[in-house]
Amino acid sequence: MALDGPRTRPSEPPAADGPPFEGDEVLSCGRLLSRAWEQARDAVPAADPHTRSCPHCREAAEGLAAVSAATRALRAEDPPGLRALAARVMDTVRAEVRRGRLLPVAGPGREPRIAESAAAKVLRRAADTVPGARAAACRLVPVGDGIGVRVTMTLAAALDHPLPERVHQVRRTVLRSAGQDLGMAVTAVDIAVIDVLEPEPVWEPFRRPGSPGGGGT
Amino acid sequence: MIERTVPPPPEPGLPVRDLPDGLLAVRAAEGDEDSFAVLVQRHGRPLLALARCMLGDPQDAEEAVQDAFVSAWRRLPEYRHGAEFRTWMHRITVNRCLTMRRRRPSPLPLDAVAEPAAKDAWSQPARFAEQDAATAALCRALGDLAAGQRICWILREVQGLSYKEISQVTRTSEQTVRGRLFRARRSLQEAMSPWR
Repeated sequence: MALDGPRTRPSEPPAADGPPFEGDEVLSCGRLLSRAWEQARDAVPAADPHTRSCPHCREAAEGLAAVSAATRALRAEDPPGLRALAARVMDTVRAEVRRGRLLPVAGPGREPRIAESAAAKVLRRAADTVPGARAAACRLVPVGDGIGVRVTMTLAAALDHPLPERVHQVRRTVLRSAGQDLGMAVTAVDIAVIDVLEPEPVWEPFRRPGSPGGGGT
Repeated sequence: MIERTVPPPPEPGLPVRDLPDGLLAVRAAEGDEDSFAVLVQRHGRPLLALARCMLGDPQDAEEAVQDAFVSAWRRLPEYRHGAEFRTWMHRITVNRCLTMRRRRPSPLPLDAVAEPAAKDAWSQPARFAEQDAATAALCRALGDLAAGQRICWILREVQGLSYKEISQVTRTSEQTVRGRLFRARRSLQEAMSPWR
């Protein structure tokens, strides 16, 4: 039977027996204790036939049972101050916001202006509405006589559709949003695709059961 | 019938919550606080666990993680994505914790680690009490480890980082990481033997 799908646990190479570590010992089966523990804790279960069948390795692994149980409890604990902590961090962050340069948003007469970071936020959001595209960087530079703006954007894009078509769609959407939402005279939108959008982001080592899996709110 | 309040307007575009770390970090570097808020939400919990293990005291841990995030926000424009955001963030947090430990010489106050999980306390009191005590004992034993061993163990067992990531965070070789992990397991096994 083949190994089933990819594991969330990062699997390590099966550890060529390096030099024994200080305090290491050789089990009755000839394996090092350190290796038996690595196999038990870090390797994909059942990847190693020896570990699966060897009573000495099993006994060594069971020696860590109390530590493992306490560790599981530690991992499962939800730190009580997390929400307040995040709020404090974001208070500081918002007080130190990086606005970037000021850019023109209407005709030459009255000159209302918008901060680059605010305009970039609107244009990124517009780009994000294109299926299979997500904006990364978005820089805006005044051009010509100071009325027009040139947009440089980087994207992550999925490869399920031809890339030029998708990039074109993003450019159109960004141009429309710049005109409609910001009243900004964008002269050009330069787009570079810098990353491939994976079907599903994988980032959490220990996803809690019942936690939102990217959908929902 | 109950009056319903007006439902919130549908979010324009797609929520940033599902974006990968790398994209969020780029956006945050350009001053997008909303993207940074997602990173804080996403990594806050494991980083707080990390700091708690390293410092023992929940309040110190919160302070360390808060400082680490604020420092990350300030340094993001220079962040060159040489490492994954997660690895980078872990390194900042670990360094912050080490600085705080140096500043506060007394290791771990024995009573500072046992914070009972109040919300679950009524459901299975005996079991949770025992689990809390075991967890507290583990935290104490962690406090007795050499700093390098403790960091490696926490990053592996609590944070789930790979050997490679740990070696990047701690700036050592993978072999050193494996050695430290082994010695940490050895000491913790010894310390936890009454709980078998």
